[in-house]
Order: sequence, then structure tokens, then C-alpha cells
Amino acid sequence: MKTVKIITASVFAVVIFGLSALCIFLPKNDYSDSERRYLKAFPELSLETLISGRFMSGFEDYALDNFPFRDTFRSIKAAVSLKVFGRLDNNDIYEHNGYITETEYPLDEKSIDRAAKIFKKINDDYLTGKNANVYFSLIPDKNYFLAKESGHLSIDYEKMVSSIKSKTDFMTYVDIFPLLSIEDYYKTDTHWKQESIVDVAEYIAKAMGADVKTEYKQNQLAKPFYGVYYGQYALPLEAEKITYLTNETLENCVVYDGENRKNISVYDMEKANGKDPYEIYLSGPISYITIENPDAETDKELVIFRDSFGSSIAPLMAEGYSKITLVDIRYVFTDIVCKMVDFENADVLFLYSAIVLNNSDTFK
Amino acid sequence: MLFSSITFLYYFLPCVLILYFIAPRKLKNSVLFAVSLVFYAWGEPVYVLLMAVSIAMGYICGLAVERFRGKTLSKVFLAISVAISLGFLGYFKYADFFIENFNAATGLSVKLLNIALPIGISFYTFQLISYSIDVYRGEKAQKNPINLAAYVTMFPQLIAGPIVRYADIARMLTERKHTLDAFSSGVTRFVFGLGKKILIANTLGELCDVFKASDDKSVLFYWLYAVAYALHVYFDFSGYSDMAIGLGRMFGFDFMENFNYPFISSNAAEFWRRWHISLGSWFRDYVYIPMGGNKVSKPRWFFNILTVWFLTGFWHGAAWTFIVWGLFFAALLTLEKLCLNKILKKSKLVSHIYVIIAVLVSFVIFNAASLGEAGEYIGAMFGAGKVPAVSQEFFYYFKSYALTLAIAIVGATPLVKQAVLKIKENKTGNLVVSIAQPIAVAALLVVMTAYLVDGSFNPFLYFRF
Repeated sequence: MKTVKIITASVFAVVIFGLSALCIFLPKNDYSDSERRYLKAFPELSLETLISGRFMSGFEDYALDNFPFRDTFRSIKAAVSLKVFGRLDNNDIYEHNGYITETEYPLDEKSIDRAAKIFKKINDDYLTGKNANVYFSLIPDKNYFLAKESGHLSIDYEKMVSSIKSKTDFMTYVDIFPLLSIEDYYKTDTHWKQESIVDVAEYIAKAMGADVKTEYKQNQLAKPFYGVYYGQYALPLEAEKITYLTNETLENCVVYDGENRKNISVYDMEKANGKDPYEIYLSGPISYITIENPDAETDKELVIFRDSFGSSIAPLMAEGYSKITLVDIRYVFTDIVCKMVDFENADVLFLYSAIVLNNSDTFK
Repeated sequence: MLFSSITFLYYFLPCVLILYFIAPRKLKNSVLFAVSLVFYAWGEPVYVLLMAVSIAMGYICGLAVERFRGKTLSKVFLAISVAISLGFLGYFKYADFFIENFNAATGLSVKLLNIALPIGISFYTFQLISYSIDVYRGEKAQKNPINLAAYVTMFPQLIAGPIVRYADIARMLTERKHTLDAFSSGVTRFVFGLGKKILIANTLGELCDVFKASDDKSVLFYWLYAVAYALHVYFDFSGYSDMAIGLGRMFGFDFMENFNYPFISSNAAEFWRRWHISLGSWFRDYVYIPMGGNKVSKPRWFFNILTVWFLTGFWHGAAWTFIVWGLFFAALLTLEKLCLNKILKKSKLVSHIYVIIAVLVSFVIFNAASLGEAGEYIGAMFGAGKVPAVSQEFFYYFKSYALTLAIAIVGATPLVKQAVLKIKENKTGNLVVSIAQPIAVAALLVVMTAYLVDGSFNPFLYFRF
């Protein structure tokens, strides 16, 4: 019995003192690749931060963020939570048939209402009298395909669509739900795959009276792609590859980044090696971008109010328009950006994912 | 500082263990006092001064009570000590409650003080009061201010109990022994307490939060919440007590048990003999018995019960929900003494169902934001308010938390303890348990560290009391 007591005390001492030493002496990282965020730095130590308690709260954050083998411990937690305690999700992230997603629930009627009001204001203030044709398309998130089948909570998508339709009768709704399946999305990321949505682009364009049917060459990034949910889920999963589509039209397109006032490419190869390779498509989150197609056989223009899903589908519509303007009102005030856009005779497409519509407080 | 935090486990505790065990015997209490101040100041940098003033006052009054023992002045200094302690508690914990109710009753609008509640004030105030009363009743006053300060501020039990009484610990302050046996059992108790807190209490706390935020409530979801919350409080608080007792043993102290499987009780009176034992016995010894206890006329007896349970409720928080929670138990205890016990004795099953339902309802009141919310929740549990019987969210969360709930329910009974004792009866079983113990300690430490690294939901409930 004495041996057991010695072993118990020793085990405790080894774990506590061992990890303590690693906490103190192991070099620290600034950035967590798996979580795609900067880690907390050691807080400022002063009399003021001590008395106010800011040093202590800062240190707690620092100690958590810089714990040795942090990702391994997060994997252990996820495994215990899901496999031992039988939880159906880990921090709202769940896996079904190899696809990872985050629970989007419940349907936020106020958010839908807010989005509808913003769309209507844009229509009333900038589109009325401009002979613009206005369309709306909702992109289902992965929960639409996974939640019911796997027994997870999910929003009522029919209700979401009918709610937004009833509040925006100035827009023509283009239903793309039947064209999509879970295989059209990355397994570890929120987004759809560009190579799987060519038909979606063609369908939406056709609904707007444009023909964007064309051939593309498939190109693949060498770097393995771990999507945004990979780090959050914390259990090991296989990497995927990002594919991007090119053809002569896209190669000739002139892309202008209005936010940073510079020309960019349709596919940003610097971003391909960055923290989020999905930003290869039109350089990621930029509030105002134009794509001009010098080879266009039409002078028709398209304006897309969009979220990050729009980055990969917009280039696939270039064939049918002389100019596409992409506006992301999550990063710029609506009134400021709308004054920069010429809506005269344009097709205007509001293209949003269900996740963004259900969290429209991000709109400015 | 939270026990269940990376800062405590991997920065504070290793430093404390080194400092404490390398310090010579006569300096150990000084080390405990110093590190306890750091522990407290980590969460309450300013209120550490309030605690220091309380201790100084308790020390001086204790000496004076002893100096004038048997004379009126002794009683005067006892009264001063208790009044100042209660004055601090009243000002920092209850002032705004009194002002709010004064405003509501008179229609005036006296400005609220908006004082932040000093962590653990309810616990260390009661310890100081117990010290003064114990000295008045004959216990020797502590001559060494460091020893008294070490007793009041001792970090294992400083902010959430158990409420350690001076009489129980006076000798240990100077004569305690440090043994491998105590250290090892302290480690095991601490780690299992940490497990109760992190793996069970925090998880069930998440379920309670999910329920509160839900727009898809149903009768069964209300019941799920009631069960989850009662178990959450139990595992949170008893886990903390286990950690306190375990840490105490590591430093040579033997704190009193604070919980004894309360959910297996047969009536409310037994529940309170098994739940938060240190608080219940404090009120019994320092309030109920001095008021005459049950050795008085029946009306006076019931008045004593009412007073003690009003105070017990009010001790938990400055809100009517806590007072009603205490009075709810006063009503149950009175009913039991009048007639209910005769019925409950006839069937163990009925008595258990009665206790469980009573406790679940009581904790719904306890955790309600207002009496209105408490009424709404309890009504919904019993089908009032046109709430549907089941909902989509109920099914999902029941399924997701089923195993945690099952483990919690079994863990709230002595079944596991009895099973381990049974296994240890034969030689092989004893060997298996002996081998499993250090493995369990190591595995739990790793898993709990993983939960801490990943998690953000971690507040201790009893900090607010």
C-alpha cells in the first residue's frame, strides 16, 4: 500500500511539475494554425494592471493560449467528449460521413428581417429607376445536408427562404438548393468547391438572362487544405486539395481591388500559401472588387452583393458579363460602397449563404 | 484564482508546494498565509485589504474576549467582533438589496451603491465569527496573528468552504503532521474533485445555459434542466469541497466533510444533514441551538426553524429567490415534523421521490433570475403555461448529455464507493484498485488539463455566495 501512495504522489508531482516546467520554459508561438488566430501574449506587468486585475485576467488567457502541446490536449478533449461522454458535438462542431460543420441553430427571424430591410434599402435608395434587374439566391450551408440525417439541430430552411422572399418582393428568387449536395462542399471548411459549382453559376446566370457556359481547366494547389472547422473540431482528419478553374477569358480578366486600390488576379497565388488557402479566390475578404472581361460579347454588367461564397462563383460568371462588381457589405458601410457602383441597366444579384443571413448583424 | 484553471494547477500550485515543503516548520503557516494572500489577490486585488482588516479586527477582539473572559467586557468584545463582521458582510453583500427593497416599498429612489461582491466574504466572515464565538465559549485565543491569518485565509477553503471552524482546526495550526499517507490521499481527493468539477459540473452547466437561451422549451426540457441544474450545483460545490479537503490533507490539515450523498435522503431534514454540512452545522451551532433549538414551545420551535432557514437562504445571496428558497425548506421541514414524516416512513420509494422532486423544485427557485421566472419554470414543469410536452431541442440535448447525466446520477449515490470497497475486500480486487488509483489520477489530470485548455466555461458557482 505504501508503494501505491508513493506512486500516486509521484504521478501527481510528475504531471504538475513537468507540465509546469514546460509552461515556463518551452518557446511560445504567436499564432495557432489550427485555430487561425493569434495567441495571447504575456500581459503588461505594472502596478496599474495589477490593481485593476488586468494583469491577472491577461495572464489567465496567456497561460491557456500558450499551454504546451495545446493542439494535442484539444484533441484529447474532443475525443473524450465525443467518444467517451457520447456528446453529439464538440463546441457545436460535429462530423457526419467525414464532413465537419458547425451547428447553425436556431433560425434567427430578427436577423432575416434585418437582412431583408438592408436589401430593401439598397433597392429603394440605389436601384429604383435604374432599370436594374434584381435577383436573390440563398446558398445552403452544410447543415442543410447533414443535420437531419445525423440527428443534429438545424434551422428551417424553407421558413428562411419564404421569410426572406416575403420581405423582398422586388427581387426574383433563384433556387439553387436542388443543384447542390454535400459533396459540393469541402469536408473541413464552410465553403463550396469551385469545381463543383460550375452548374450553379450557369443556372443563376441563365436565370438572369446571361450565358456563361464555357470550358475550364482544373488546377490544383499543392498545399494541403485544412478548412476552418479542422482546428475547431480538433480531431485528426485528412487534408483536401483546393482546385481552381481557369480559361482564356479568366486569364484576360482585369481584376481591381477597390478597397486597397490596386489590380489583383482572379486567383491570388500568394494567398495559396497563406493561413487560409481559400482566400486564393479573389484574394479573400475584400469589400469592393471589379472584374472586367475585355473579351465579353456583351456590355451587360452584374453587381453581386455577396459573402465569401461569392469569391469562388463570381469568376465563373465572367463569361457572360463585361463587368462584375462584387460588394461585401460586411466590411464596408452600405451607403459608402453603393455610391461607388453604377447600377444602370445592371443585373443585381444578392447571393448569400444561410449562415450569413442568420447572422446578419455583420452587415454594415 | 480558480482551482480548475491552468494558472492554479501549473503555476500557482507547483510554486506553493515547493515553498511550503522547503520552509522550516515554524514558517509553514507564514508561507500558507503569504500564498493565500496571492491566491485571493489574484481575483480580488483590492478586497485583500478588506480581508486583512477583518482578520486584524478578529485577532484583537479574540484577545480581548479572552482577556476579559467571565466579565461583561468579554461579551462586549464578542458583540463588537460579530457586529463588525456582519457589518462588512451586510455592506458589501446586502446594501444594494436593502436599498432596492426600500425604494420599492417607499417609492423613493435612493441611489444604489453598486458594490462588487468580494469573493468568499460569506465564508471567511463566518469563519471569523466562529473564531470569536469559540473563544468566548472557552477556546484559547490565537496569540500568533500569522496563525489566525493562516486559518482565515487558507487558500484551499478560502473562497468556497467548507466553513472550517476554529475549534476544529486550532490544534492543527501548530501541531499538524505531514505524512505520505495524507499527501497521497489528498492528491487523490483533489484530482477526483477536480474531475467532478470539470467533467461533470461544467458540462451540465453548459446544458443549463443552453436551456436558458432556448426558444424551444418543453415540459420535458424544463425537467431536464431541473435535473441538470441540481446535479450541476452538487458536482460543482462538492467537487470544490473535495478539492479543498484534498489540498488541506496535502498541507497536513483535516477539514470536515461537506457532502454525504444528499440525493439519497429520505426527507428534507436528512438532505440538509448531507448537503453543505459545514454551513448547516454552523447555523445549527451558532444560531439554532443558541435560540433554544427544539427544546422550546412548538410555536417558538417553528419560529427558530423559520429564522435559521431564512438566514440560510439569505446567506446564499442578496435576492428574494434565495430567501424563498430557504423558506421553502423551512416549510418542508416544518411539514415533515408536523405530519409528513409519518407518511414518508411508510415507503422508501415515495420518500425518495418526494425528496428528489422537492430538491429539483428548490434549485429551480435557487437559480431563477426572479421569483416570476421561478414561478414560470415550476409551472411549466407541471404542465402550466401551454408549454408543449416535448421539443426538438429536448431530444437533441437529452441525447447529447445522456451519458454525462447518467454518470452524474450514479456518481451522486454511494454506489461507486460501495463497489470499490466491495472489490477491495479480496486480495486481487485490492491489488487492481491499488494499481488503478495512480493510473486514474494520471489519466484524470491529463483529461482535465485537456478540458481546461479547450474550454472556456469554468466559473465556480459558490464564488458568488
